[in-house]
Amino acid sequence: MAKSKRFFTYLFLSIIAIVSIFPFLWMVISSTNKSVDVTRGRLLPGSHLLANFQKLVETTDLQLSLFNSAKISLTTTVLALLIASLAGYGFEVFRSRTKDIVFNILLLSMMIPFAAMMVPLYRMFASISNVAPGIGIDTMASVILPTVTTAFLIFFFRQSTKMFPKELLEAGRIDGLSELGIFFRIYLPTMKTTYAAGAIITFMSSWNSYLWPLIVLQTPQTKTMPLLISTLGSGYAPDYGMILIAIVIGTIPTALVFFLMQKQFVAGMTGSVK
Amino acid sequence: MKKSFVLLLICMIMLTACGSNSNTKNNAEAGTTGAEKAKEITIWAWDPAFNIAALEVAKAKYAAANPDVKINIVEYAQSDIIQKLNTGLNSGTTKGLPNVVLIEDYRAQGFLQSYKDSFYDLSSSIKGADFADYKSGPTSLDGKQYGVPFDSGVTGLYVRTDYLEQAGYKLADLQDIDWKEYIEIGKKIKEKTGKALITLDPNDLGLIRTMIQSAGSWYLSEDGQTPDIASNVALKEAFEIYKEMMEADVANVHADWSQFVAALNSGDVASVPTGNWISPSITAEASQSGKWGIAPYPTLPGNDKSVHASNLGGSSWYVMNVDGKETAADFMATTFGSDSEMYQTLLTDIGVIGTFKAAASGEAYSQASEFFGGQKIVSDFAAWTEQIPSVNYGVHTYAIEDILIVEMQNYLNGKDIDKVLGDAQAQAESQIK
Repeated sequence: MAKSKRFFTYLFLSIIAIVSIFPFLWMVISSTNKSVDVTRGRLLPGSHLLANFQKLVETTDLQLSLFNSAKISLTTTVLALLIASLAGYGFEVFRSRTKDIVFNILLLSMMIPFAAMMVPLYRMFASISNVAPGIGIDTMASVILPTVTTAFLIFFFRQSTKMFPKELLEAGRIDGLSELGIFFRIYLPTMKTTYAAGAIITFMSSWNSYLWPLIVLQTPQTKTMPLLISTLGSGYAPDYGMILIAIVIGTIPTALVFFLMQKQFVAGMTGSVK
Repeated sequence: MKKSFVLLLICMIMLTACGSNSNTKNNAEAGTTGAEKAKEITIWAWDPAFNIAALEVAKAKYAAANPDVKINIVEYAQSDIIQKLNTGLNSGTTKGLPNVVLIEDYRAQGFLQSYKDSFYDLSSSIKGADFADYKSGPTSLDGKQYGVPFDSGVTGLYVRTDYLEQAGYKLADLQDIDWKEYIEIGKKIKEKTGKALITLDPNDLGLIRTMIQSAGSWYLSEDGQTPDIASNVALKEAFEIYKEMMEADVANVHADWSQFVAALNSGDVASVPTGNWISPSITAEASQSGKWGIAPYPTLPGNDKSVHASNLGGSSWYVMNVDGKETAADFMATTFGSDSEMYQTLLTDIGVIGTFKAAASGEAYSQASEFFGGQKIVSDFAAWTEQIPSVNYGVHTYAIEDILIVEMQNYLNGKDIDKVLGDAQAQAESQIK
């Protein structure tokens, strides 16, 4: 009985695993094939990996796009973690009569679809450009700033802070640490796993972010990886082998960040303080 | 763990340090352009192998005579350009808009009518009559010429001549056929070779569009606003032909572009009625050289107005009403607007079949294609281009097509044709106010 139950569990899990892994596998395999073979659905690795890669490097500014994406994602991640954790910490630790109202309003902002804010946001940045071109449209700042605080991340940090032992705060206060000192020297090191989970979530969404960068970035010099990939598929006769190698390259950083912090991510999602 | 975190932080600091450098560089560039704005123009287009490549040719030509003008060509996917244009125009600021933008003909009127003041009237720079007649519908508004017509979307019936021969036909037999005869040939081919005649995407009614345009008809009536579906004779015939293809079991089904191209390259289908832009995808399969031919487009049976020519896709250049518009208009007028020699280069080097009438008499247009069995395909296409009936694509082509895609499935499932088109008409009217 137990054995057959186990068998079905494994069978079920295997099917799910195949379903989730197959697209990745196909992507990697296809990046080694010619475009014609990709469209034919060839499932064997080919010998065109280098040729595809060479063509990609020759026809696009791959390095620049990777660099732009890295710059935006890393800056966003660090800033977002700092701001959201400060906010989440503040919401949970400090006492105020209005904080729950403010927090609920903040959560409501999650309900507004980005498409509704897009045009006003663009207008805003276009007019900022006249005054301060450094943070107006077509700059890194214009991509980073709107995503640097998200209600979700603040919510996430507030929830995690609920499990943070308040006795540690008291101890810190008694020992004469300033409030910021408590945050940076007690809270931050204790909540490492929460930060790791937050970092993965923010990095991924920033790295993959498409619509807003598309609208606000204007020149080839500022193109990010998703924009580059989107452009590759624009031809009347797209080269699928080349597109897929670009996608593989575009996937590596997020995969890397995830595997690097996988343990912490799981711990962070399930509650960080042991 | 600690180490990797520190590593990440160091990377970040280094990146931002480098980043601020490149930022200042960008700003410096922007500063200089501000001083002499009119001398720098930006152009948005898609497809590096086609539109962008054509732009590069024009840019080089123009730079020889105007070395002081800087032309920035920015590549985006077509859908990205639409998204960016919509947001930019919607926000009411000219900031970030390009000087010249490429727009697909089906969508052009939507932009022109909604944001007329944002586009620059080119009537004084180019003559609409210099281009294929069918292009005047999408590129002009209220008698003013806004677009510089670019590539021809002229259609042809691409066929596998080897399959044809096995079924007892020759390419010469296909010169004057209608869609019913086409299906009959398809049945023979299926019988002899087992290959499908055609491959269709249920979510793309491009074939229907080409059929009705060959009869000078469109989803919308001539004003470009009122849906013309229920009483549209050509559309009804096109629907019936489509169903007949499905029921005669001569059609393959594909779901996206890659499957479409795969069906051609693998030899699974015997013919493709589509725009001339498919040529590079077909010739990409070098092993099929000599096995393809291109016949004139079939007509709608029993429809007197239907001709052996139609259009699928194609796009045109538009100058935006922003700083630098005079320079942009001059660039467009001296290159795409008048240089028939340049069109020869575009054809031989890139494969662009333009719609500039004077270019068709050039040498490059009469070259024979080895892949297509020595056929002079370009001069055929150029001749067909001139026959394409001009229709007003209006502003709602894709909105109506979304409705028709659903109704087409109902029709294939047995719903009565008049009811199908009547329902589609009602939906279109309520959706398009």
